[in-house]
Amino acid sequence: MGIADARAMYPGIEVVESDHVSDRRLLESIADWCDRFTPLVAIDGDDGLFLDISGCAHLFGGEEAMLNEIVRRLTQQGFDARAALASTPGMAWAAARYSRGPDRIVPAGGEERSLAPMPLAALRLQAKTRAGLESVGLRHVGALLGAPRAPLARRFGSTLITRLDQALGFAEEVISPRLPVPPLSVERQLAEPIGTTENIEQLILLLARTLKQDLERRGEGARRLLLSLFRVDGAVTRIMVGTSRPLREPLMITKLFHERLTAVESRLDAGYGFDLVRLSVSVTAPFTTAQMDLAEDTLEEEEEFALLADRIRARLGDNAILVPTLAESHLPERRVSFAPFGKETPSQKTAMPQPQVPAKIRPIRLLEKPEPVEASAEVPEGPPLTFRWRRAVYRVARAEGPERIAPEWWREDKPRLTRDYFRVEDMDGRRYWLYREGLYGEETAPRWFLHGIFP
Amino acid sequence: MARMAMAQEKVFALRREIARIEGTLPERLAMPATAGGEAPVLRHYGRPEAVSSAVVKTGVLPLDAALGGGLMRAALTEIAGRETRDSGIVSGFALALAAIVSRNGSGEPSARPILWVCLADVLAEAGFPYLPGLEQFFGVVPGKLFLARARRLEDALWTAEEAARLGGFSATVLELRGNPARLDLTATRRLHHRAREAGRPVFLVRHSAAPEPTAAPTRFLASPAPSPLRETLAGPLPRSIGPPAFTVTLSKSRTGRNGTFVLDWNPHDLAFQERRPFGERGSVQESGRRVQDSGDLVAASFHGPDPAPAARGGLASAQEKRRTG
Repeated sequence: MGIADARAMYPGIEVVESDHVSDRRLLESIADWCDRFTPLVAIDGDDGLFLDISGCAHLFGGEEAMLNEIVRRLTQQGFDARAALASTPGMAWAAARYSRGPDRIVPAGGEERSLAPMPLAALRLQAKTRAGLESVGLRHVGALLGAPRAPLARRFGSTLITRLDQALGFAEEVISPRLPVPPLSVERQLAEPIGTTENIEQLILLLARTLKQDLERRGEGARRLLLSLFRVDGAVTRIMVGTSRPLREPLMITKLFHERLTAVESRLDAGYGFDLVRLSVSVTAPFTTAQMDLAEDTLEEEEEFALLADRIRARLGDNAILVPTLAESHLPERRVSFAPFGKETPSQKTAMPQPQVPAKIRPIRLLEKPEPVEASAEVPEGPPLTFRWRRAVYRVARAEGPERIAPEWWREDKPRLTRDYFRVEDMDGRRYWLYREGLYGEETAPRWFLHGIFP
Repeated sequence: MARMAMAQEKVFALRREIARIEGTLPERLAMPATAGGEAPVLRHYGRPEAVSSAVVKTGVLPLDAALGGGLMRAALTEIAGRETRDSGIVSGFALALAAIVSRNGSGEPSARPILWVCLADVLAEAGFPYLPGLEQFFGVVPGKLFLARARRLEDALWTAEEAARLGGFSATVLELRGNPARLDLTATRRLHHRAREAGRPVFLVRHSAAPEPTAAPTRFLASPAPSPLRETLAGPLPRSIGPPAFTVTLSKSRTGRNGTFVLDWNPHDLAFQERRPFGERGSVQESGRRVQDSGDLVAASFHGPDPAPAARGGLASAQEKRRTG
């Protein structure tokens, strides 16, 4: 129906353009909120959610109470929600759309009876299949239930049979949860919502203590922790903290979250407060209890450092702590790479035999990108006499070089130019590492760059 | 004269008052009763600090004297540079001090790592620490350096404070540029206290910084110095670039003595040596301990017969150890 027709019928109608992106976002935020009932929440189409409540119903006082609670709270938030509960996703989908009142809860085994009076749309069929079925006079699911299956499958495709079986529970249907299910999770429902960071941290400590027992029983420690804060009005904030080694100490966990919360404090809007706080371990790792060394305290120190590194990363971001590692390359910028702490590969130095020649002198600081300088040399191939770097002119008093470093042709697609490195000292005593890229007599004239700084 | 004495009297009275409020004896420099009285004893909150353990000799006698025995191990030390382009000199001097301070009793380099905290803009301006060079010059082996990169000064200060408190690092280096307003007396005092409690040094490296009051008890101003010539068998090699050299101005110290020193760094022994004019070389002997001459510097005697220096175990074995360890 066009807008004009609709307006003709209902002059007061309000026309709002549909916004799929916003609708989707809204549905996702509702799905987030539904996490409070079960960790297994899946989005279905544009307007539906599947909640797998296996093992969760008793927490909310039974199936019916839980269903009523969900609908009530959604209604309070201003949503018109229809919900149903059944043993199979297909049946629940149908019941939510085509049942009313007490029929919303379909007991196990009662699928056939409930489905029979429903229209064909309840089977989640394609419009074409449905039209075909209706054209031969099959208007209710009940008509299909009694019909022989083979001719149906032949004429209308196997999807019809699959849908039927899924609704009745003969075929397994899995819903795909939006979020991975954490192996361990503890939560606390709060009668009085909390909002301050201190309260949240206290609660984290409480939850972490519970978590510790579970982790101990499993012989594991947490490598990644997720804190979910459910706000009263339905918004959910998730805060992730990673650790560099398996952790189960409640105080340490609280400390990590303290840093994370400090970092996100400005973005964390408590609003009217949080009424559900959940702490889950999303990644676990085997926890090895090490024997303490009586003489040395290195183990403790290492652990202390790991914890500090975790706290720094929680506060400043995952890549805040960098570990320089050596790689086998003679290009200065490839020789050292910076890996985030915890993800580094050990330096390859130990694996390689030491070269017998004395190591070439290298700067202590290397510019991220070699900076072009304007240099003039006495003789074309010689060291620079003066150069200009960052708008300052340097007169070279002494120079050593060249040290020729050729590009690594086995790695490059595009040939790079050969570099001739010089150590230079200016009149005041500043020492720099300059190089001339390219050779004389080639197509492009050589250019000078400043790459490193010596002490 | 009388006016000065009165002013001093006033200062003492104020100090006593502060000490009374804090309930401790005032901090003062007292001459020990023993003969000589060369080294001042620093009293901190009434307890005399054990100079031998609290300070580390830099190996340069006049510098040690000006520092009151040596560089304090458990303290904040500020190293400033006038310009960012001196970053190699300034950070190099800080690492040299870190290498000296972190040596344990037997002179071996510490097994603990160094945490280098810096603001992201410093890395862009002055370059990233480069491990091969750090190993050659300051004995920083792979795995013993961690770089903490912060976007904001608050984060950098927080990281440095936490690291200083930990005590698991041989040194914490906080590297900044300019004179940020947040780096005030309070912030530096916090750093200093943390360093003192943990007994580990914190080096505040400031590039292109104008002098301003901080709580660091020691402040150096590092500027470039022409390096000595490279030593060969045939004598110094003309126009060559030798080991690192620093012009260091001690602008604040516990003893109140200041001075400017030209220091050559010996990367093999991880030790300083003060540079003097050629004529003065012999006079070092009388003042006692002398830094080992690694042979990197210009030979003392040019014209007379110069007995070759005896092979020292320290040089080769230290390097060997570093390489294998």
